[in-house]
Amino acid sequence: MQVEKFYYDNRIVKNFAYATILWGAVGMLVGLWIALQLVFPSMNITQYGSFGRLRPLHTNAVIFAFVGNGIFMGVYYSLQRLCKARMFSDLVSKIHFWGWQLIIVAAAITLPIGLTQGAEYAELIWPIDLAITVIWVIFGWNMFGTIIKRREKHLYVAIWFYIATFITVAVLHLVRSGELPYTWLKSYSFYAGVQDALVQWWYGHNAVAFFLTTPYLGLMYYFMPKAANRPVYSYRLSIIHFWALIFLYIWAGPHHLLYTALPNWAQSLGVVFSVMLIFPSWGGMINGLLTLRGAWDRVRDDVILKFMVVAVTAYGMATFEGPMLSLKNVSAIAHYTDWIVAHVHVGALGWNGMLTFGIIYWLIPRIFSTNLYSKKLANNHFWLGTLGIVFYAVPMYWAGFTQSSMWKQFTESGQLKYTFLETVTYLKPFFFMRSIGGTLYLLGACLMIYNIYKTVKTGKLVADEAAEAAPLVKEETKHAGEHWHRWIERKPVQMMLLSLVVILIGGIIEIVPTFMIKSNVPTISSVKPYTPLELHGRDIYVREGCYVCHSQMIRPFRSETERYGEYSKAGEFVYDRPFQWGSKRAGPDLAREGTGNLKKSHGWHFRHFREPSSMSEGSIMPAYPFLMEQDIDTSETGAKIRAMQTLGVPYEKGYDKIANSELMNQATVIAEVLKYDSIRISPNKEVIAVIAYMQRLGKDISKNKK
Amino acid sequence: MFKFIKQYAEKVDHIAVYPMISLLIFFLFFVVLLVYVKKMDKKSITALSNIPFTDKEESTITNQ
Repeated sequence: MQVEKFYYDNRIVKNFAYATILWGAVGMLVGLWIALQLVFPSMNITQYGSFGRLRPLHTNAVIFAFVGNGIFMGVYYSLQRLCKARMFSDLVSKIHFWGWQLIIVAAAITLPIGLTQGAEYAELIWPIDLAITVIWVIFGWNMFGTIIKRREKHLYVAIWFYIATFITVAVLHLVRSGELPYTWLKSYSFYAGVQDALVQWWYGHNAVAFFLTTPYLGLMYYFMPKAANRPVYSYRLSIIHFWALIFLYIWAGPHHLLYTALPNWAQSLGVVFSVMLIFPSWGGMINGLLTLRGAWDRVRDDVILKFMVVAVTAYGMATFEGPMLSLKNVSAIAHYTDWIVAHVHVGALGWNGMLTFGIIYWLIPRIFSTNLYSKKLANNHFWLGTLGIVFYAVPMYWAGFTQSSMWKQFTESGQLKYTFLETVTYLKPFFFMRSIGGTLYLLGACLMIYNIYKTVKTGKLVADEAAEAAPLVKEETKHAGEHWHRWIERKPVQMMLLSLVVILIGGIIEIVPTFMIKSNVPTISSVKPYTPLELHGRDIYVREGCYVCHSQMIRPFRSETERYGEYSKAGEFVYDRPFQWGSKRAGPDLAREGTGNLKKSHGWHFRHFREPSSMSEGSIMPAYPFLMEQDIDTSETGAKIRAMQTLGVPYEKGYDKIANSELMNQATVIAEVLKYDSIRISPNKEVIAVIAYMQRLGKDISKNKK
Repeated sequence: MFKFIKQYAEKVDHIAVYPMISLLIFFLFFVVLLVYVKKMDKKSITALSNIPFTDKEESTITNQ
């Protein structure tokens, strides 16, 4: 048969590789900065640089900018070679590349100025959500276009992972982005309270699964055999790995919500599937590591293999730890602590980071047709990276255990042994040690930047790499006796649909009943919608990212009910859009901040916001002096109320018209009370709204008791 | 202790059927998958796992 000559597009691979390196450095730098903020609160410089706004910037930069570009780099390189075809369209590739970079830039601008939806890893505002949808579809279009014009009959396992990634991320993004815009930049979630929580962690967990894991497993199945120069250990295992992983992963989300007000059956489902996940995950890890069978001696000399071995090992550790953390008794200890921070960084720094570095070192010399500038520097990078992970993770594990046990300790007379603040100040040295680990890791990345820069200088980009292959003969029918999976492997669209069905099963069984429960979440009669002032305060709370350090979810443990009051009930959150349960307690829980023995005066809150350490010595909370200067944006009040009405919040008809005057009444009362504390402030300042919200927290339930 | 959760769950119609459906789907899916993988013939397995190596790469670039 006549072979066809064609060219691989290496320019797009190069572009994504550069973007990966650039955003990786930015994401790590922001990470290091916010790590130091927890030790030196004075590093919270201006409102645009406060921890609550920068932490989402860090997570988004690492997940969507660093790993995101890493995915595209690896997919664009391997897909062309596995399909023996150039990418579908150079123009579509370009639109994809620049579109994605624009989204990242938009995120880097909007997050520091406080435009956020307040849901972890889904913070970006609705116009950016729309842009992500468009660009993601363009990526899928380019990918499927390439697959359809391929010259290789069968789809290699890596491509299955790419297809599953594409379709699942699309589903996750669409469901999580259910939001009702009320201005050009702001919106409220379609979901409230418990439902919002379930949607969030179904999304959040599967963002880990289908953005940080499945595409990288695809990359592992291509680049690891290439680097080791031998085929994958077991192709059979890879088939089981693929289907089992995508089937099980989608169910596991509720393990982020153990002991919360989420219905028990959903929690149990999350636990069971999380525990089962260990099997496909370890199947994949073993498959990766055993690919090196008979070549282990090469790992000593081959720095790329070293990166990959650490990456796959870190994947194995994180996916063993994940199921363990999903057990309710372990979650009871680990949840809200730095243990989780350690866990995710083993995944991000170890699995994603090290695999990305390995691929970059493998791929850049190839597309520039030269040798790597310095193997020694790459080796130093490897050691700095590996030690960085250790120095990061160990202090964080230690901090997590310490924090949890300090929270739970009682004196002999039955009092809580430590105040919350004591548990925070005790951890500062650990936070500092963690930043040393982060510094080492970042230094390693800097070595890579220099090394790649020098490599690129010595080589020349082979923008269009010549290749040849025989064209694919059309075969419409499957051979008699051929197995269905072989058939599926040739049909990308069927593959995508089957993946879709597989992931939808878990999603539907989990989420649909929770929406049926809507009518069953017991409406607690005393839980009322927020007043306009409180609503503004809540939106400022969301804007400042308070949820990254403060939970609003008291679990039913004595150590928590003693410290924070009655455990949280599902019915308390029916007006919370978005829910703000949080996932980490660098500060205390705030669910009942306005009630019981936690209640503080308006003046205390005012002074605390202005300078937290003046009220709580040693506090690591950023100061919020700008809340005393900025006015409440009352021009939005009407739109907020109308949006809430559309979503079913029972404000009376026409309330949007009088909302601002009610807001002023409530604000004036607070400003008057503040005068008794010798604080003179105009009632239209933002701090008044936040104080109103603080004083409202938990109050509905306590009213009920009397 | 978990009455506050149970009381909602109990109100969902036929809630007990959910875990059973999940288990069945899961079980059947994996049985089919295992049987299939077992039945694949060795030759095609080798061919499939060698797909990454079928492009001619006359590269002299070394990793070491």
